[in-house]
Amino acid sequence: MNAIAITLVVVLITFTIALSIFSRRFTRTTADFYLAGRKVGSFSNASAISGDYLSAASFLGVAGAVYASGLDGVWYAAGFAGGFMVVVLFIASALRRFGEYTVADFAFGRFGSHRIRLITVVAVLLTSLFYMAPQMFGAGSTWQVLVGTGILGMDPYTSGVVVVTAIMAFYVGVGGMKGTTLNQIFQFWWLWFAMFLVVVFAFGNGFNYPEALAKASTGAIVNTKALTAKELTTPDAKTGKTQLDAAKSIMTPEEFTKVEAAVAANDPKAKIPVALPSKNKLHELRTMLFAEPGHRYNSFDQFSMVLALVLGTAGLPHILNRYYTNPSGAAARRSTFWVLIFIGTFYILAPIAGLAGVSFIKDYLANGGTIAAANVHGLLVKPDQIMPTLGSILGGQWLMGVVAAGAFAAMFSTIGGLLIAAASAIGHDVYEKYVDPNASEKKRVMVGKLSVLAFALIAMGIGLGIPYFGLDQAYPALIAMMVTWAFSVGASAFVPMLLTGIWWKGTTERGATAGIAVGLFSAIAIIFLNIFQQLGMVGKEGILGFFGALTFPVLFTFPLGLLTIIIVSKLDKKLPDNVDQIWMRIHGTASERHEKQHGLDKVGSLLGTKKA
Amino acid sequence: MTDRTQTTIDTHLRHGDHVDSIESVDIVFRAQRKLSFTYGAIFFGVTLAIPAASVWWPTWYATPIWGGFTLNYLFVSLLYFVFLWSMAWMYSKQADALDSSLEHMADAITAQQSDTDEEG
Repeated sequence: MNAIAITLVVVLITFTIALSIFSRRFTRTTADFYLAGRKVGSFSNASAISGDYLSAASFLGVAGAVYASGLDGVWYAAGFAGGFMVVVLFIASALRRFGEYTVADFAFGRFGSHRIRLITVVAVLLTSLFYMAPQMFGAGSTWQVLVGTGILGMDPYTSGVVVVTAIMAFYVGVGGMKGTTLNQIFQFWWLWFAMFLVVVFAFGNGFNYPEALAKASTGAIVNTKALTAKELTTPDAKTGKTQLDAAKSIMTPEEFTKVEAAVAANDPKAKIPVALPSKNKLHELRTMLFAEPGHRYNSFDQFSMVLALVLGTAGLPHILNRYYTNPSGAAARRSTFWVLIFIGTFYILAPIAGLAGVSFIKDYLANGGTIAAANVHGLLVKPDQIMPTLGSILGGQWLMGVVAAGAFAAMFSTIGGLLIAAASAIGHDVYEKYVDPNASEKKRVMVGKLSVLAFALIAMGIGLGIPYFGLDQAYPALIAMMVTWAFSVGASAFVPMLLTGIWWKGTTERGATAGIAVGLFSAIAIIFLNIFQQLGMVGKEGILGFFGALTFPVLFTFPLGLLTIIIVSKLDKKLPDNVDQIWMRIHGTASERHEKQHGLDKVGSLLGTKKA
Repeated sequence: MTDRTQTTIDTHLRHGDHVDSIESVDIVFRAQRKLSFTYGAIFFGVTLAIPAASVWWPTWYATPIWGGFTLNYLFVSLLYFVFLWSMAWMYSKQADALDSSLEHMADAITAQQSDTDEEG
């Protein structure tokens, strides 16, 4: 247990709760609770969007992916950032000009049916749950690494999930969007600063970017895995060779002797860390070098991965909701520009940290140093542990503490945004519209808070269910994989509807509804096929086997959703009666001109509205 | 979002002294669509060209040009972000300028149409 790290995490949590309680006095109306009064300035909003966006997958996962896979890992950083170009070019200002509170409101206002609002609510909740799952898993895993012990009789993983859920439900429920926004701003800059410090310490310890990259690319990438004795000794059906044979070709005699001893002990539950050779999946005849593509993706996946990341960002409801907090369409564009600066600098730093890990950890271990994380052949068994390990080696317990708090900040800021998005869907889109439209403002805010609590409990159940169903064993890089699933669901369900709804007047309600349904359920079906295949419940043959093997369903499901909208709309041809008025709301500027004339477009204080 | 100042009739949307007509909005929409889709084509062209080059152009992915940096690594880890920032900056500026120039045009078209309606 690291006392300094735990102290810094406790300080972060205390500050977070205090900020929520402080901002409580400024949350009186539903516009305050869901949208922070619609007066968040570009810089603040950009910081909050960045905090919303940068989750544990970005803070721990990107550096880990680069550490393990080289260039294919760097693509995560570029793809995550590139997604905001789709937002700024096609969606941001139109969404803000249309006004309203949520994506479901946009769908209802644009197409005028309760059916499309309700299916959008379902899509928002499912996408948010898919995105919440890796955050919950990250919470449990980080607690395991950082604290190492459970509380109240729970194991460490369960403790992490329960504690993070409780803190998040409290601070989002109390602080609403204003409290969450203030927290996300603070949390984003903490995690940015933590990443920056790690890189500064790396350069301070003699790291040279081009030289380190050249050194890392002198030999083939080595994979690390923790396998059971049975997995190590079972021969491959095609080659007849075992994983133990492969490990022997890579590991030193001293290292391999330890592996043999562990295999001989024959403990069926024990996981034995081994180093294994890597294959180049893109250029099969080339050695798999760090600076070249092909460690993770073949030629098909090189394209589909890029599209999944780039399109997925525009389909994340908790990010889209944030655009309604801008005071104008132009401010929404400016916010996105600043988001690209903030997260762009972060994503330039993260791959440097990943490469620095390759550079420092092996030398550190070779010189007799010891680290808490499991390692073999001078490499971490779990690449997601690169950030705290590097922090510890380069800056001691204090830097590790800053990094550990950064990891929790990343989880808190994203979970906060997801809880607000889910609460908007339940409280605003369902309760206020269908259950009790005449409810008082106080009652509406209360329902929003209860929605936060309900969704947090569902997310906690999913977090606890992941190890129960063995998903953490089925996928070696589960956090990154689950984030990609959420991107795929969002990209398939929302992006075709938003693009056609904003840019094609001929889109009809039936077309948009069918497109959302087809995109949403086809993406989810392929993801579950993939899960069932990994768990051995679906074979690799036939049509089910083909779709189950797809790493990124979005390459099929996005065009499918888009085509569905176009074909059904062409056949239907039934446009809303007030389509011209709707078009004027999306693309007209009279509202903004009016606000500009009377100074209503000015950014308000996040801490309250001025009295007239 | 509706406010107290907003009134609508079939082909007009009024906010205080400012009016959008379907004709003026159509001009704004077409100009905005041209701008967004031009930038979008450049963005997707460049973004998809990177994996294409990674598959088919060995000089791009296998030739070190600066220490261990290949063109591929340098672009994905550094230059792609500069490309994104430049695109977002130029697009935002042009979109703001477009909004500004079209504001006057929209007011002029609306005024002209009001005159025509009165005469009619």
